[in-house]
Formats: sequence, C-alpha cells, structure tokens
Amino acid sequence: MDQVIKYYFNTEILADTVPQLLRALVVVAEILFFALLFSFVGGLILALLRISRIRVFRWLAGIYIDLFRGLPLLLVLTYIYYGLALVGSEAGLDFLILDPIPAAVLAITLTYSAYSAEIFRAGIGSIPHGQMEAARSLGMTNTQSMRYIVLPQAIRVVVPPLTNELIAMIKDTALASVITVPEVLQKSREIMGRVANPTPLTAAAIAYLIFTLPLIRVASRLEKRFGKGTRPIGM
Amino acid sequence: MDQPLIRLEGVHKRFGDLEVLRGIDLEVRRSEVVVIIGPSGSGKSTMLRCINGLEPIQGGRIFIEGVDITSSKTDINQIRQKAGMVFQQFNLFPHKTAIENLTLSPMKVQGKSRSEAEQIARDLLDKVGLSEKADDYPGTLSGGQQQRVAIARALAMQPDMMLFDEVTSALDPELVADVLNVMKTLALEGMTMVVVTHEMGFAREVGSRLIFMDEGLVVEEGDPRVMIENPREERTQKFLGMVL
Ligand SMILES: Nc1ncnc2c1ncn2[C@@H]1O[C@H](COP(=O)(O)OP(=O)(O)O)[C@@H](O)[C@H]1O
Ligand SMILES: [Mg+2]
Repeated sequence: MDQVIKYYFNTEILADTVPQLLRALVVVAEILFFALLFSFVGGLILALLRISRIRVFRWLAGIYIDLFRGLPLLLVLTYIYYGLALVGSEAGLDFLILDPIPAAVLAITLTYSAYSAEIFRAGIGSIPHGQMEAARSLGMTNTQSMRYIVLPQAIRVVVPPLTNELIAMIKDTALASVITVPEVLQKSREIMGRVANPTPLTAAAIAYLIFTLPLIRVASRLEKRFGKGTRPIGM
Repeated sequence: MDQPLIRLEGVHKRFGDLEVLRGIDLEVRRSEVVVIIGPSGSGKSTMLRCINGLEPIQGGRIFIEGVDITSSKTDINQIRQKAGMVFQQFNLFPHKTAIENLTLSPMKVQGKSRSEAEQIARDLLDKVGLSEKADDYPGTLSGGQQQRVAIARALAMQPDMMLFDEVTSALDPELVADVLNVMKTLALEGMTMVVVTHEMGFAREVGSRLIFMDEGLVVEEGDPRVMIENPREERTQKFLGMVL
C-alpha cells in the first residue's frame, strides 16, 4: 500500500504538479473553446451542404465527411503541424508554418467538423418532413424554413450527441502532446520524467476526470430527457 | 372577376414510374367549396400539394389567380401565400406557442410588425375558439385544438383560398365537430375552399361541388346533394356505399 501511495499518489509530487497542470489546463480550455466553436459552425455548414439541392455540394461535403471520419486525428495533427511546416519552409510559404496551439485547433476542428456534420445531419433528418412542408406552405423560403423551423428543433435533438462529442474532444486534446502543445498529458509526462515517479499521471487523470465526469452525467441525463421528448408533437 | 382562383389543365404527376395524377382538369371559382373524395392512394393529397406548389408536375399547367405556377418565372413563395394549407397531421411548430405559430410567417414573410401580426393572430384564435390557449405549446393541446390552431395559422397569412387535406382524419371522433364547425363558418363567410374529406355531412351542408377521384383521374363531379343520392358512375356508387 505504501508503495502504491509513494508511486501513484505521492503528495509531495502532487503539490508540485498541480500548479503546472493548472497552466496546462488553461491551454486545453483554449483549444477546446476554439475547436468546439469552429467545429460546431463547420459541422453545421457541412451538414447543410450534405443535404443541399445542389449535387456538387452534397458530393463534396460527403467526401470531406468520409475522409475526416476515416483518418486518425493523430495523423491529421502530425500532418497539419509537421507536414505543412515542411512544405512551408521548402516553398517559402511561411503561413503554412503554424504554432502548436493553432495547429491543434485546426486539426481538431477539421476532424470534429466531420463528426458534427453527421450529428447535425441526423438531427435535421429526425425532424418530420411535415414541418418543412408546413413552413413552405406558409410562404417561407427554404432558408427561412430551415432557420426558423427545422434547425431550432434539430438543435435540441443534437445536444446529447454533441455533449458526447465534447467529451471525446476533451480526451483527444491529449493527442496534441505529439506536436509539443503544453497540454495536460505533455506536462505531466515531462514532470514524471524529472521526478521518476508516475504520480503526475495520476494528477493528469484527475484533471481530465474533473472535466469529463460531470459531462458524462449531463449527457446521460440529456439523453434520457430528449429520448422521451424527441417524438415530435402533433406528428 | 370571373377568372377561376384555381385552374388545373391536364395535370400529370409521376413519382418515378408511378403515375399518380393522370390528366386532371379542375376549376375552382371564388367562394366555391369544392369537396374531394376518393379511395386512399387516388392522388387527392398529391393534387392539393401540386396546387400549393409543394410538388413539381410533369405535364399540364396550374394557374392560381391566373398566374401559371409551373412557370419558372413565377415566385412560388408569393403564390403560396394566397393558398393556405391545412394538413391531416396538423404540422404545428412544436417549439413555438400557439400564437407564435400564427405570427411567425406574417412577420418573416409578409414583413408585418409584431403588434399587427399579434392582433390578427388573437382575432383568429378567438374565431377558432382558442383565445385562452394563445401562449400554450402545441404539445399541451388536444388534436382538435391543434388542428384549429393550424387552420388559424393558415388564415393568418390572409389567403384567398384554403386547402384542407383530410384535416379531421387523425382526430378522435368527439373532436371532429369543432374542427368542422370552424370550416363551415369559413365556408359561409365566402372563403374559397378545396376540401379533401370523407365527411359527407360537411359536403352536403356547405359543399358547392363534389368531386370523386380514382386512380389519378376525376371520375365524376356534381352537386354534392344530388351526387351523394344519385351517383352516375359505378365506382362512385361503390365508394359512397363504403363511406356513408
Ligand atoms: N413522395 C412520394 N413518393 C412516392 N410516391 C408517393 C409520394 N407521395 C405519394 N405517393 C404515392 O402516390 C399515390 C397517391 O398518393 P396520395 O396523393 O397521398 O393519395 P390520397 O391522398 O388520395 O390517399 C399513392 O400511391 C402514394 O403511395
Ligand atoms: Mg391523402
């Protein structure tokens, strides 16, 4: 037992680790904020393109979504950070050389936009066709019907799956350690190397759980509530 | 003045290989109440949806107040405001209160002010007997109440004509009368109406014309009171025998 405490819950090391991890958490929060915002918008746009009447849009969005759902985020991260930088420095295109944090935001956004798009598409698809027809029969344009009738209802349906996506995104920020982003996992490994003790990893685990556990609870509660409520009224 | 509000000329509608409307001719004049009956699958809903521009047609032409709605030059959203549509499944907007269901389109489509739209909406909710439900969500209303809100919602656009697609079919029998009464009032006020229904009492009382459709064609039409008693066509006789 003493051994376990010494190696995994070493209070001295914990005290030393926490302030540094707090700084790393700020970085994680920053990445999450932008990646969540951008992938929400990106996913919504992709979903609307995916169901657009214009075939080329449907087709391009479909390719994008399949591609990024099919690639490991780790590969995308590496590509965006190291891959682009290599091309950038060879070709003298400096804008391709990204700092680690923007690179992480971009890679996560690109990948999670594809996931969000599928969630939004399913959400929009779950709204009965009669809603669109009723809106159209009242003289609303396609865009107005989407904006005032379909999307407000679809947003409610997609809140639980989007919450699950946020949980996955929080965990996936750990992957950004491979491109030297000073996030939680990266920091704790660094400290672990110095103190030759895995306690910092324990601290990292706790840090992730502080964010993810409440969300997991929220997600399952939302699923229960929306699961009942999704049967459209009057349909 | 004497121009029909609705005119269908040889309308053909196909879904893939399935020919649902096979040359429909129809004229509806101002203040007429045209009641359409026919077996399930005969194309009644499809015809109403074509009149409302919700379905493209493959042949023939449809004129609303003299404007060819099948022409690519026509602004279909403009035309739709002239024809209010009420559906079997109500299709109220569940995320909006009753009064918001009524005010949304007048505000967003016709550019009415909120106060003007609400004034119209309150008058209409009063007319359908639901003024006290203005701030309720559709999910808390009975089917009959929802359908009356849906009628009021269509009327809020101040249309020249109303299209009803089996609007009482999804209702419990005891709720049908309230909805029919609203429709009868409208008919007596001179609203031009095309009503797909199996309510023969309604047809007899306020119908100016009865049309029997089968397999995408108008089989027979005439004065409802005469036709219900003495249908000419055998198919009409059979059908009336089943619904009466
Ligand atoms: N969107 C559609 N796609 C394919 N077939 C359809 C569609 N809508 C209606 N139909 C078919 O067209 C025929 C007529 O349908 P409908 O107009 O709803 O008949 P009714 O209202 O008289 O019962 C039916 O066979 C129906 O299955
Ligand atoms: Mg029908």
